[in-house]
Parts: sequence; structure tokens; C-alpha cells
Amino acid sequence: MHQQALCAALEIIINQALAFNIHGTKALVPLEQKTLTLELNELGFPLSFTVNASKILVTTLEDTDEEDASCIIKTSIATLRELRREQQLTELIKQDKLDISGNIKIAQQFAAIAETLEIDWQSEIEKHIGDVATYKLGRLSNAVKEKLAFAARQIQADASEWLVHEKRLVVTESQINDFNQQVDQVSKQTDAMAKRIERLSQKLLTTDSSKG
Amino acid sequence: MSAQDHKQPENQQDNTTHFGYKTVDKNDKASMVAGVFHSVAQQYDVMNDLMSFGIHRLWKRFTIDASGVRPGNKVLDLAGGTGDLTAKFSQLVGRQGKVILADINSSMLNVGRDKLRDRGLVQNIEYVQANAEYLPFEENTFDVVTIAFGLRNVTDKDKALRSIFRVLKPGGRLLVLEFSKPEHELLNKAYDFYSFNILPKMGELVAKDGDSYQYLAESIRMHPDQETLKEMMENAGFEQTSYKNLTGGIVALHKGYKF
Repeated sequence: MHQQALCAALEIIINQALAFNIHGTKALVPLEQKTLTLELNELGFPLSFTVNASKILVTTLEDTDEEDASCIIKTSIATLRELRREQQLTELIKQDKLDISGNIKIAQQFAAIAETLEIDWQSEIEKHIGDVATYKLGRLSNAVKEKLAFAARQIQADASEWLVHEKRLVVTESQINDFNQQVDQVSKQTDAMAKRIERLSQKLLTTDSSKG
Repeated sequence: MSAQDHKQPENQQDNTTHFGYKTVDKNDKASMVAGVFHSVAQQYDVMNDLMSFGIHRLWKRFTIDASGVRPGNKVLDLAGGTGDLTAKFSQLVGRQGKVILADINSSMLNVGRDKLRDRGLVQNIEYVQANAEYLPFEENTFDVVTIAFGLRNVTDKDKALRSIFRVLKPGGRLLVLEFSKPEHELLNKAYDFYSFNILPKMGELVAKDGDSYQYLAESIRMHPDQETLKEMMENAGFEQTSYKNLTGGIVALHKGYKF
């Protein structure tokens, strides 16, 4: 029943997010009674998203037989992330990482709704805890965000210091550049030598033919 | 006192049946069950959440997911009570489809109708007060029939199953969600303790009716176990019958098709 628990949680989160969306639920109107089914390799069961009366129902019902009213995407979570870049679509299908059947417009419309989702969290929180508390909470969350970002940068710097200088597991950027320069130099010298050999061969051939 | 000690077949000859652990006249059972549900109708949803710790919502979701319902389908939610399944079915079948919420009990039907109307679900739902044994619908009418936590209250279950079979379309499916027999003895004992010691007290406290919840516990023990119900469905004409135990068999979802 963990599937049903997941569906219930997703349904609550999605519909709550849609209710908070500053653009409203107008974008759902063309999708009325349409279904997008996601078959993710990691899950092992389908997740169907059906639009009804400005709400999205999440079930594990398999696709409807009506091609026009549904779209089925079989893929993995990693590929789903890559799908954000539209130009990747054909490439991913060619690589067998993605299988789409049914009406692809439905998937595009669902994706467009997700892309345009915009929530004014401050005004939503304000309704429940008031202006002052929201302001303080906002400041606190910004401070925490900054601290976390600083900590992340610090950890990254420390990790690279440890890997590059202390343990010498990774080479430095200047070492890579130096190596690249040397490779370029060798490549240029090889090219020049090849050209020289070619010229000499040509010369040898012309000398031989004039003697003959 | 073991639940199995009380289990007895309905006696076709002497016209008696069981009402919880009591043996009553078949003609009286419907009105006695009606009395229980008239009494608990207003607090039914709250009690369901309390008694099952909210898990009944997942059992019902499981039923919806197993229904294979499609836009445009016609669904009968039998003994639909306060309309939990009807609400979801109504959204899934869409405007082209239809859901009939049927219940023998007018109080439950009224509570269900008010609840669904308050949620704005009006377009494709009809309400019918009906006895599962004598369904007032034409043959081959429904794509899906569900009966959730209702079959054990029906006086003649075999008759009800035959009646459901009649109104299902060929290719249609019946889903019976009902309390059943826990798979493990330890769970069975804990469940018995909960049902007979805590449940009636909870009913007394919240619904002001401990007797109805005592009946609930007894009626669950008197209900056929998983295999017996599967056999009953097959006897009524259903094919490809199967069941899935939920929460260790406390509840089971039986499925059968009409071909």
C-alpha cells in the first residue's frame, strides 16, 4: 500500500501547490479529463496524473486506451531531469532512454504548468502567522540560506584542498593547463613534421621521375 | 472467545441468519443493520478515521487503483455510505461517465449526498436507495461495481453477489473491500483485543453508541474469510477471482470479472 500512500502524498502536495500558484489553475482547463502516465524504472508501478475540475488526481491506474486523452512516458528519474532541455527529447528517444506514446501535447502541457508554477510563499504564510512573524521568518530563512551556501562553499574548498594538495589524488587546474599546452605543442610539432615528410616525399618523387 | 467459534453458515431452511454473534430471523436483519447505521451515520467518517488510524483511506485508494476505471465508465458504488469511493470515481469517469451511489440506508445516503454536494461533486453522481440483493438496475449496466465494508451487513450475501453479477456488463469487474481474517495469529490476537475492548469504548465516546461498534466487531468475525468469499464469488458466476490482503489481512480486496 506504499504506492497508495505515495499517490495520496503527491496528490496533496501538487494540489496545494496549484492552489498557491499566483497564475491560478487556468492552465489546467485544456487538460480536463486528460491523463499523463509516468512509468519510472525506479518505481516499478505507473503514476497517473488525471486532471478533473482544476485538480490533479494521482493514481496508479494504468493508461486509458484513448490515445487522444492520454500520454504515457516510460523513463527513469535521471532522464526526466534531462527532459527539461527540450532539444534533448529526440536524442533521448534515440538512446532508448525514453519511450513516449499517446498524445505528446499532454505531456508538454503538464510540463508547461510545472515550469510556470509560481508561489508567493510570503503572502501565503502571512495569512496564517501574520506580517511581523513572516518578516522575521523570512529574514531567518535568508540568514540560514546564506549560512548554508557559505558552508557549502567552505566544504567544497576544503575538499578540493585535501584532494589536490594534501592527498594529491587530483591534479591542479594549472597542471592540467600545462599538460594541455604540452600536448598542443607536441601536436603542432607532429603536424609540422608530417608536412615536412610529405614535402620531402613529393620532392623525392619529382626527382625520380625527372631522372627516369 | 474465538471468532471462529461463532462462525456458522446462514441457514437457508430455518430462515435465520446472524446479526453479529446473535442468530436472528432473516426478515429482521436488514432493519437491525439499518438501526446500527441510522445511529452512526453522522459520526461515520470521524469514526472510520479514528478506528483505522486513517488507513481506510489507503484501502479505498487501493480499491480505486484496482478498478481499472476509465473516463466514460459507469460505476456502481454499492453500500457506498458516505461516498468516499464515489467522490474519486466521479472525478475519474468524468462528465461522460456516471457513478451511482447506492445504499440501503437512507441516513447514510443523506450524509453521503450532503458531503459530495459540499465538495462540488454533482454532475455525474446519482443516489439510489437500494438493497444489494435486489438491485434495481437493468442487466449489463455497469463497468465496475464496488462494495466497500458493506457485504458483511447484507442478509443473503450469495443473493447479493448474483444480483451484482446480473447488473455488471460483460468484461466488467466487481471489487469487494471488506474486513477479513488476519494472516498471522499474533496480529489476530491483537486485533481481537482491539476490536472487543477498545473499539466499543471508542464508539461510546465519539458516536455515543458502543453497541453498534460491538456489532461491527462481531460482524467482522462472522464474515466469510478470504477463501470462502472467493468461492462465493465464483459460485455467483464471477471468473478470474482473486484477492489481495491489506494490512496483514485485516482487510482484503476481492476482485472478480463477468465474462
